[in-house]
Amino acid sequence: MDDPRATRLVERALRCYPARWRRRHGDEAAELAALLIRDGGSAGSIALSFLAGAAREWLTPRPGQRLSTATCALLIAACALSVSVVLVASPASARAALTPTRAKGASTSQVRGPARCRPGMAAPVPGLIRAMGQLPVIIWEDGHDRAC
Amino acid sequence: MRVSGRDDGAGRDVLRRVGEASVLILISLADGPKHGYALIQDIRELADVELGPGTLYGALDRLERLDLIESLPADDRRHPYRITAPGAAALRAHLDALERVSAAGRLRLRLGGV
Repeated sequence: MDDPRATRLVERALRCYPARWRRRHGDEAAELAALLIRDGGSAGSIALSFLAGAAREWLTPRPGQRLSTATCALLIAACALSVSVVLVASPASARAALTPTRAKGASTSQVRGPARCRPGMAAPVPGLIRAMGQLPVIIWEDGHDRAC
Repeated sequence: MRVSGRDDGAGRDVLRRVGEASVLILISLADGPKHGYALIQDIRELADVELGPGTLYGALDRLERLDLIESLPADDRRHPYRITAPGAAALRAHLDALERVSAAGRLRLRLGGV
């Protein structure tokens, strides 16, 4: 390729392929691109074709990759679940959730008369956290009352 | 394209789902080994189809995984590819299936007077 811009463009597109592919076809593909450009082909469309090929190469499952893909999916799911649990169960969020109730001095043990259920408030969150350990007691203790 | 009942056993049409580029590559390789650049030029003349280099290498890898073609020792930096015996059988079965469909289509056009 005489045009350095075309060379750079194609080289960048070729770098998008997995290393395994580059080891096998990299030199040949660069030479092929040079020949196609010499024949009047557009460097842009050649680079685009390589980019699409690289995307396909990354997305096509290989026999040895099936297990690792499944493992990755499981790991991602496990991480997402852990993060959710940590966020919900963190003392800070529990405190934040409790603050409006406590500030008003309105824990359920102090509520007198029929109280209303307020689903939009954060009060059920600590109930949910504690519910992991002692479900029936806590749910009735915080955030919900007999009127619900 | 499902050609049920006619594509099992030895004549199984394994090329139904590999895409047009792979079929064109096999047709191009049917008359002898070629490397990437020669394949692109031959397919351009044969079918008036401009095969992009990314598409070409994707199809070559797929066909090689299916044992329909094989890579020969590199000549300089170029790897020539050769059609294998299963590749030739698969191409024959695919072309037969296309021929049947083509004949049925022409017959229906004639019967329908279109």
